[in-house]
Order: sequence, then structure tokens, then C-alpha cells
Amino acid sequence: MTVAALQETFEALLAARVGPEAARWLESARAAAAASSLDPMLALYSAAAIRVGRAPLALSAAEHALLAGLLPGLSFERWTIDDVARALLLMARREAGRTDDDFVADATACFEHADAREQQSWLRAVSMWPESARFLPTVIDACRTNIVPVFESIACENPYPGRHFPERNFNQVILKALFNSIALSRVVGLAGRINPELSRMARDYAAERTAAGRSVPADIAMAIGADAGGQEQPS
Amino acid sequence: MRIFDPHIHMTSRSTDDYEAMAAAGIVAIVEPAFWLGQPRTNVGSFVDYFNSLIGWERFRASQFGIRHFCTIGLNPKEANNPKLSKEVLESLPRFLGKDGVVAVGEIGFDDQTDEEEACLARQIELAAEFKLPILIHTPHRDKKRGTERTIAVVRKAGFPEERVLIDHNNEETLPIVLATGCWAGHTIYPNTKMDEHRMAALVKKYGSSRIIVNSAADWGISDPLKVPKTMAVMREQGIGEDTIETIVWDNPVAFFSQSGRLDLAGIDQPPTIDRAEKFATNSVLRGDQGQVPS
Repeated sequence: MTVAALQETFEALLAARVGPEAARWLESARAAAAASSLDPMLALYSAAAIRVGRAPLALSAAEHALLAGLLPGLSFERWTIDDVARALLLMARREAGRTDDDFVADATACFEHADAREQQSWLRAVSMWPESARFLPTVIDACRTNIVPVFESIACENPYPGRHFPERNFNQVILKALFNSIALSRVVGLAGRINPELSRMARDYAAERTAAGRSVPADIAMAIGADAGGQEQPS
Repeated sequence: MRIFDPHIHMTSRSTDDYEAMAAAGIVAIVEPAFWLGQPRTNVGSFVDYFNSLIGWERFRASQFGIRHFCTIGLNPKEANNPKLSKEVLESLPRFLGKDGVVAVGEIGFDDQTDEEEACLARQIELAAEFKLPILIHTPHRDKKRGTERTIAVVRKAGFPEERVLIDHNNEETLPIVLATGCWAGHTIYPNTKMDEHRMAALVKKYGSSRIIVNSAADWGISDPLKVPKTMAVMREQGIGEDTIETIVWDNPVAFFSQSGRLDLAGIDQPPTIDRAEKFATNSVLRGDQGQVPS
């Protein structure tokens, strides 16, 4: 899967969804993103929502299937049109022949200057880059957010934590999801990342909730894993 | 009864809150340095924040008859940004010697990373150097393990446990803390951490020695009157006035007095408040004449 091939798919998705004015803006913005110094790129990355809109992407079954083939594990269920436009701007910058280091630095700058909504776009797309592993420190730090939709954009429907996070950070994502009442079924690859420390943390969390006279999340068994044993699973 | 709220983030609160707190009997507060809900990107942002805690916020509190003290430190969340944490740690000695800074805090663990542990250890060294107590934040996630790890770091540093206040305790961590020489803080929140009834039950079970309660009111869902509200529930539950006073006044005063900088002289006199007074040309007035309700 090359970024160039993905770019064509994303272009087609947007072409079917935006009007002529937005399409013209996007074309010129992509050219500018490829050519410009960083400041204009940052401004374009922010402006995407105003220019192309924020409507849900609402993929057809055929489009879902096409993307599932190109990017296994990444769900586009919650993507919006501006998410795709922002991904196209980063692709344009990446494909303009810069070094990997330049791309990582510029993309990181887009995240650091982003508002919460722009951060969501960035995090939703982060697993698709060939150099995605290099964004690990930024993504781990992004998980420290208090803004739940930003946290969800990386923790949920996103293969990145399951693929790239060290065990300790992955476990923190799961505990934070439980803490924020986020269904663990939304975490991609959880079943394959169960580990004894995560089981221990989830059991302790259940005990803490019980001691406080509070309910225990119904899906906590997903974090405890198969070795939990029927008797010991919290109700 | 005079009330001390030993952990409240007034920077996030309004003057209405100050009015209500004063009316409820709160006369002294400690505002710990913490994170602002989203990450800061440069050390100057911390320096300005620390300066506001010892400057404008202290003045603002005084305009409502409330004595404001603060703690200064690098919070655990932002300890994970290596460049920033280094610069912030280097800036701390400039602040830790100032009047009204009554502890290093809030420090401790969040994700329980190695970076957090290194910043915690360094700040314990600074507290020893400046002869200050420390205020420990315990993590939301994996709290019991985080509390145990914190105590291990304190002990490894050889820091006197009676100068350590471990905060945000619950039913599971309180016995762990009381088994040490550390003090045990409890944050009474509307939804998370601890509530008034659970707190009253803990006091009935464990008594009042080294027990402290606070509101930790901040920019999240929180309530700056949680200390007086907890007192009301403790009374309903038949807990005696002496016990309540130990928890909401004697204990926080005894703990922070270890700094040598908890100046409560004249706290029993009704405050004289002149709201036309200015702090660096700013007053808390917004056009009116600042009548203070009697």
C-alpha cells in the first residue's frame, strides 16, 4: 500500500462529496501544502473544515470494503469530510519529495498547533503513514488529553495503539477507556494485547469501584482476558 | 468553626466562588500548582502560571477575606515531556524560596512512567533542600499501585514521612497511607474520587489522626464548598465537633506549618477588605464601588 495509491482513493471519496468551490480550494491547498514553507501548511490544515465542511463521510458498503482492503484495521465509521481533506494535505506534503525527517517534523507541527478537532483528524490518520512508528511519542502524549473525543480518536476504531504502543502505554489506554466509560469493544486489537499486568490493573480497578460502592463496567472482563475464570469475574 | 481547604485550584474559579466560600467559613486555602487541562508547550507558560499563584491569585483571595497559600511543582502529566520538564525543574528553585509557598506540589504519578518517577525524585530533593513539605497527587488509574510506588520513592529518598501529604485517597489507599508516617488527603468531588458520605464512613472507621479533606475544585466538575458540605454530613452522622475541627483546621494547619511559612497571624480578626485596592494596577472591581457585604 503506497501513499500515492491511497491518495487516489481519498481524492475519489472527496470528489463525490464536495461542491466545485470546495474542490477548487482543495486542489490549490494541496499544491500549496506540497510547495510551501510550514506556516501556510499549518494555516491550510486548520482551514480545511471551513473550506470543505464537516459532514460525516458516510461511506457506501463498496467504499468501506475498498478502504478495508487498503488499510486493514482502520475504521472510517466516524470520519468526516475534513478528516479526509487534512489527510490529503499531509499526503501532498509527504509526496512532494521531502525527506522522512522533514515529513515527521512537519506533520508533528500540524498536531502541535492543532485545536481539538484538528487533533482528531490527525490522530485518525496517523496509522496510515509508512513512518507512523516515528509518531509514537506524540501519540502517547496525545492519550494524556482530558478531551474525551480526542482520546477516542486514537483509542477507538484505530489500530495504532494496538500496533505500536509498548505494553505499559497500551495498558494505560485501556484503563483510561474504562475510566471514561468507553466500550472496550471499540479498542482495535485488544484481544491480542491482553497481558498479566493489564489483567491485574483491571482487577484492581474492579475492586476499587466495588470498595467505593460503585458499579463495575460490564465489559471489564475484556481487559482481564480469558484467564480470568468465571468465578472471579466481577459482576 | 474556621475552615481550611488545603487543595483548591482557585485560578479556575470565579469571584462568586470566593464569596460563597467566605460565607461558608473558609478562611484559608492552599492552591497547588497543577496542569491546566491541556499541555503547556514552553517553560515560560509555567513561569507565568507560578507567578500568578503567588501574585494575582493571592491578592484576589485577600479581597474576599481568604488567606491564600500555594504549592509549586511540576505535575506528573507534564513530567512526560522531557525538554519541558528539564526546564521547569530548573526554574523551580526561583519559586520555592518565596513567601506563601508552603510545599512542593502537586507531584507524583499519572501514567506511572520512568520520566514521572525521575521528576518526582528530583522534586523530593528540592523539598529537602528548601525544607518544605510535599503534596503528592495519586493517579486516577491504577491508584493503589501508584500510591505504593510513591511511598517507595519517598522512602528511597529518605524524606521525612511526616512532611508528606498523600492526596486523593480512597477506601483502598487510606489504610496503606496510614500505615506510614504520611498524612492522608481526601478529595471530595461530585462524581469521582470520594464523596461526603463515604468520607464520613472513613472517619468513623479510622478517626481523625493525619486525615485531611479538600475540594480540589478546578476546571472540571467540582464544588468549592465540598469541605463545609462534608462537615455537614459528618455532623449528621454523629461525628463530634472536635473530630471535625481536627480534620478541617488543625490537621492542615499542622501539616503546612512545617514549611515555616504558613502565616495565619490575625486570622481570627474579621478581615478588613478594601476592594478598591490594586494589584499591579488591577483591582477585582469591574466598574462598581466594591461594597463588601457585612
